[in-house]
Amino acid sequence: MMDIRFDNSMVHYPDGTCALDGVSFTVPAGQFCVVLGHSGAGKSTLLRTVNGLSAITGGRVVVGGKPVDRKTLPLLRRRIGMVHQHYGLTARASVATNVMAGAVPAMPFWRALSGFYTPAWQDKACALIAAVGLEEAHLARRADRLSGGQQQRVGIARAFMLDPAIILADEPVASLDPRLSREVLDLLRTQARERGATVLCSLHQVDLARDYADRIIALQGGRVVFDGPPAMFDDYDARRIYAKQDAAAPVQAVLA
Amino acid sequence: MTAQAHTRWSYPRPYGSGTILALIGAALLLWYTGQRVEIGRMVMMTTQAVAVQFGLADQSQVADGLGNAIGQLVPIQLSERQEISRIEDFDPADLPFLSHIELVERRAETINPQTMRMESRPVRTTYLVQPLGYVWLVAAKMLETLEIALWGTIVAILIGFPLALLSARNMMRFAAIRMVARGIIGFCRAVPELVSALFLVIAYGFGPIAGILALGLYGAGFLGKFYADDAENADPRPQEALTAIGAGKMLMWRYAILPQILPQYIAYTLYILDRNVRMATVIGLVGAGGIGQELKGRYDMYEYGHVGTILIAIFIVVLLLDRSAGRLRKSLL
Repeated sequence: MMDIRFDNSMVHYPDGTCALDGVSFTVPAGQFCVVLGHSGAGKSTLLRTVNGLSAITGGRVVVGGKPVDRKTLPLLRRRIGMVHQHYGLTARASVATNVMAGAVPAMPFWRALSGFYTPAWQDKACALIAAVGLEEAHLARRADRLSGGQQQRVGIARAFMLDPAIILADEPVASLDPRLSREVLDLLRTQARERGATVLCSLHQVDLARDYADRIIALQGGRVVFDGPPAMFDDYDARRIYAKQDAAAPVQAVLA
Repeated sequence: MTAQAHTRWSYPRPYGSGTILALIGAALLLWYTGQRVEIGRMVMMTTQAVAVQFGLADQSQVADGLGNAIGQLVPIQLSERQEISRIEDFDPADLPFLSHIELVERRAETINPQTMRMESRPVRTTYLVQPLGYVWLVAAKMLETLEIALWGTIVAILIGFPLALLSARNMMRFAAIRMVARGIIGFCRAVPELVSALFLVIAYGFGPIAGILALGLYGAGFLGKFYADDAENADPRPQEALTAIGAGKMLMWRYAILPQILPQYIAYTLYILDRNVRMATVIGLVGAGGIGQELKGRYDMYEYGHVGTILIAIFIVVLLLDRSAGRLRKSLL
């Protein structure tokens, strides 16, 4: 179990745009925390600072008591699974290979390179593929031959291969229709709960956030404008974060 | 109303002034260079040669020249004849398959040292004749050519693949190393096989080694460039997914890049194999082994019948290869 602490974290790009403008909050271990905001609000960047895909330019991000930096990242990344908006699957590779790809950093190099996986890893991949609701027949199927919902299921199975303490889900249902979105979020939530993973999940659908989150963080212009339980996130808040970026000023956070 | 508003728009012209200027420039360039390389004479001579075929002209230098050349190639050489006295350990009881012995008697003029007069007397020579001997020799040389092509391709992969990994932007972080690798790849591709074979023959001596290396170096330049370009153009999303969980560059390549681009890799490699078979016949001309070396030797000895056999063999192999390579590529993509 690991927590995530943002400590005045900032990301300024060299061209002057500011993706994160001093964000501070803590996600306790085991929480399902949803980050809301319109596109460009900094949701993706916030998630990507946790596993170092985006480098912070100010402040700190602390994961499980360790600050994220170049020294801690290689080991930290193995403890952090990621679910991507466009699934991030290798199109021509099989479902089995795509799921197994989630475990390759932890294997001996020659096994990962040659594809001779130990039976333990094979069993684990099969178990996860079954857990996300796919069949044995899907194992050898090419990832790009699956439907969008099935592809994201593969993405989730891959993210859990190394028993991560943290799952970062970057708009995991943005490309799915509402019914599939709920199926995928159900799956993500139950899997995370069963395996004791902390989830930081970005969404742009307010109704989904209300139904699945333990806690909602709303971002606007790279700042936290709401922080509280879903019950306290009312329509006024929703309208405000989807209004024009310069129209609203940051307000005091309401803590859960 | 809206229709009227649309008619007032000015529709973009199909060709801008830049295009027209470029066309005029190209026309001037063609006119000038065409004069220098005597395109006019080429057209005239070819027309004349065609006209002769239809009885419209009396004589054509091109038709005569081509006729002469082809006339000398036939009849093509099939058999091989060897003087028995020049064969070591010849055993008349154990002749090679399908061969026979031929006795030739001709008159030779010699000086009689006593009389100091020219005398004519019969000389007998026995030959071992193998009716398809030369065909077998050409086939063996052709096999050597194919072997050179195969190993040239293997050398090309062994050199080109690491260079590709070092020169792809998403595989190598350091720009200086990428530039050096790209430079080596560019150099390999810039030197034609025939030229590098000339120098490699000096270094390694006559034979297949020079051929294999010449083909391998050029192929490495070609494969290095295309392997690298494809790796760079592969979908970045799975690559990021692998980076996110802490996979290194090699595993990222293996799981996020290779499956995407494997069909192209195979297609390029097959193209190089195909090209190597054709080029292996040519580089033999400078002594780099295979059928080309045999061709050059026979040509230099004015044995045009032998040359004809070799040309037909090359034609057949290239034709077969063309068909099989095309089929193989289609089944893979």
